[in-house]
Amino acid sequence: MPRQVGSLPLPPHQRARLQAAGFETTDELQGIGPCQLAEELAIPREEAMGILRMARGQEGPVNYPNALQLLVEEQAEDGLLPTFSSALDDLLGSGVELAVITELCGAPGVGKTQLCLQLAVDIQIPGCFGGLGGQAAYLDTEGSFMPERLQQMSEAVITHCSRLASTKQERDQQDALKTFTPDFILGNVFYFRCFDVTQLIAQSHLLPDFVDSHPKVRLVIIDSVASPFRHGVDDAALRTRLLISLAQRLAQLASTRRLAVVLTNQMTTRIHPNSTQSASLTPALGESWGHAATHRVILQWQGNRRFANLIKSPTRGEATVEFTVTSEGIRDVPTTPSLPATMPAIPTASMFLSSPTIPTSLPSTSTSSNLILKSPSALPSLHMTSASMPPSTSASPAVLGCTAGAISIAGEKRMRNMDD
Amino acid sequence: MASKNLRRVGLPVELCSRLAKQHVVTCQEFLTLSSLDLLRMTGRSYEDFPQLMMTISKHCCPKTTTALENKKQHKQQSAFLPTSLASLDNALCGGLACGSVTEVSGPPGCGKTQLCMMLSVLATLPKRMGGLDSPVIYIDTEGAFSSLRLIEIAQRRYSEYFACQKRLLEMTSRVHLYREFSTQHIMDRLQVLEESLVETGAQFVVLDSVASAVRQEFDSRLPFSLVQRSKFLGQQAAFLKYLAEEFCIPILLTNQITVKFNDRPTSTLETTEEPSVEESFVTTALGTTWGHSANTRLVLQFLNTQQRQIRVAKSPVAPNMDFSYTVQSSGDDDDNSGE
Repeated sequence: MPRQVGSLPLPPHQRARLQAAGFETTDELQGIGPCQLAEELAIPREEAMGILRMARGQEGPVNYPNALQLLVEEQAEDGLLPTFSSALDDLLGSGVELAVITELCGAPGVGKTQLCLQLAVDIQIPGCFGGLGGQAAYLDTEGSFMPERLQQMSEAVITHCSRLASTKQERDQQDALKTFTPDFILGNVFYFRCFDVTQLIAQSHLLPDFVDSHPKVRLVIIDSVASPFRHGVDDAALRTRLLISLAQRLAQLASTRRLAVVLTNQMTTRIHPNSTQSASLTPALGESWGHAATHRVILQWQGNRRFANLIKSPTRGEATVEFTVTSEGIRDVPTTPSLPATMPAIPTASMFLSSPTIPTSLPSTSTSSNLILKSPSALPSLHMTSASMPPSTSASPAVLGCTAGAISIAGEKRMRNMDD
Repeated sequence: MASKNLRRVGLPVELCSRLAKQHVVTCQEFLTLSSLDLLRMTGRSYEDFPQLMMTISKHCCPKTTTALENKKQHKQQSAFLPTSLASLDNALCGGLACGSVTEVSGPPGCGKTQLCMMLSVLATLPKRMGGLDSPVIYIDTEGAFSSLRLIEIAQRRYSEYFACQKRLLEMTSRVHLYREFSTQHIMDRLQVLEESLVETGAQFVVLDSVASAVRQEFDSRLPFSLVQRSKFLGQQAAFLKYLAEEFCIPILLTNQITVKFNDRPTSTLETTEEPSVEESFVTTALGTTWGHSANTRLVLQFLNTQQRQIRVAKSPVAPNMDFSYTVQSSGDDDDNSGE
């Protein structure tokens, strides 16, 4: 409803100049920027901005979010999404990051679906164990989802948490374990089987509403994003456009609702006609898709061993780590000299129970029992963090992942970086 | 679902006819257009548009279930076809998974067709003996299927059960054989496979082999040919996966192997002599893209003249393990000398 300029509660000299310049209603102030208005009225730009705000009916200056607020938001997160391999967690920087898209590329059989299944279990780890206690939405386009394997991994995670709870004897952990059963875990993974591109696109339109009606969902997995697009869409330009709009929707979903989005991609062979190397493996879906994800990890085989190579990340340096897939899920490669250098063909549970890298009692130092981001020694200059920290470090959540030693080493590395 | 007509979605008639004039008739065509184009075509406002998008998406989206419901469903139907090789079945948590596609590849003469025939016999056995008690659809592209060998396997392996002639004849009548020798025929066969499955009630499909017709018709060195080949393989994989999941049956494919040289483009030699390690290596045929298509991949290889080995190269449930086996008159057997 356009108002008369004269009725705006402005200081008299501004009102006089507005009326002298010929402005009568607030409608006429639409479409003029503060710089132009300042020039016409011969007043400073900040005053012109104030006039425009008042004309639009806004109270005061708009709240521009700054990096500090973002940091506080990130620190306020009560848990992590680990992969249960501390090497992989360190590669990605304390587990899979929330609010961004992480892409996993790899050759067939290297472990992309296994890692996705592991994350679908790990997102549900209760808060008292350092996890997020959330649910997962799993969009499957390849049909490799096996609930029996998910059950196997859940049982391993429950065993690990029980072991931690029995050493610490904390009440909330014991209570959490009563409901943390394999059936509970499987019931919290929402499964969508998308057979073609249309179903995938349709589901991606419906995801925001789904997440709103299921606010505990903290993880969205699409396994894999490549297969329906490679086989279902012939026109390359259309394919690129659909992929990019899908990526935009997912990025918006991840960012506004602070979810982790994990996508898997396939590999394709790129022929080099003019070089000595005839062909190499490269992630599928083309060059423009490479920009869509925030973090990009390539999983590859070298002989019998599996390696993860972080090739794109705004926060972590490029690195390659080794990991393995066992009957319990994704784990680190054991480093004891008594074990052979390559993994034996049949991993048995007893081998991992007796390995010295599994903590049988919690370490007493505070740096290693804290998750890296929350460790007060890692961020000495930010006083804001101490407000969101638990009051006493000894009662902090127990360490996740197989090797407490590895996390404390990473913590020291961080501290050294801060001192530089 | 993708080709669902917009008219059936419940949109107002004038909107449907407006879109039809622009050749947008199915849900798939609607969802693959950009928002700007759709705004122009539908004449809706920017505020109304999301609601329209949601309505159409709801008609195309998959069903929401949880992993728990999935598991319960798996338990109710027989979730696996045991291969009767005990160590392989142990590793694969039961055998060939129902509802997924398993690929077996190996050098010529390794036993792929033998494995296919043995599993066909197994599938016709009653459930108490570990079978699916159902007909089998066997698509043969190499001409390697032999009914006599099928009968021999049945008689030697399950001699008590197949002691009477009637059962043998019944078993052979349940294995429906289709011989297709060109990619066009294979594609035609796959397109009617859904109807064949409903009419015969088959619970097991074998395609032996995926590679032979493709490799003789498409030359992988020519770029256009490669694109056509990928398209054909992609369509094939999509069909088979859809059928496997829709009917909740196991599907078995066989593939060949090829030799890749490190400094020359892929050669389609099929050689059984051991290539030297630095220059070349043996790998499954049809490329990396096809490698993503099967859910489970088993690779057969020769250990020595008597023994062969199965390696689990890709599986959602099994680790990468090797097993030894031998081919005997009763079909494939576990090797007792261990893995």
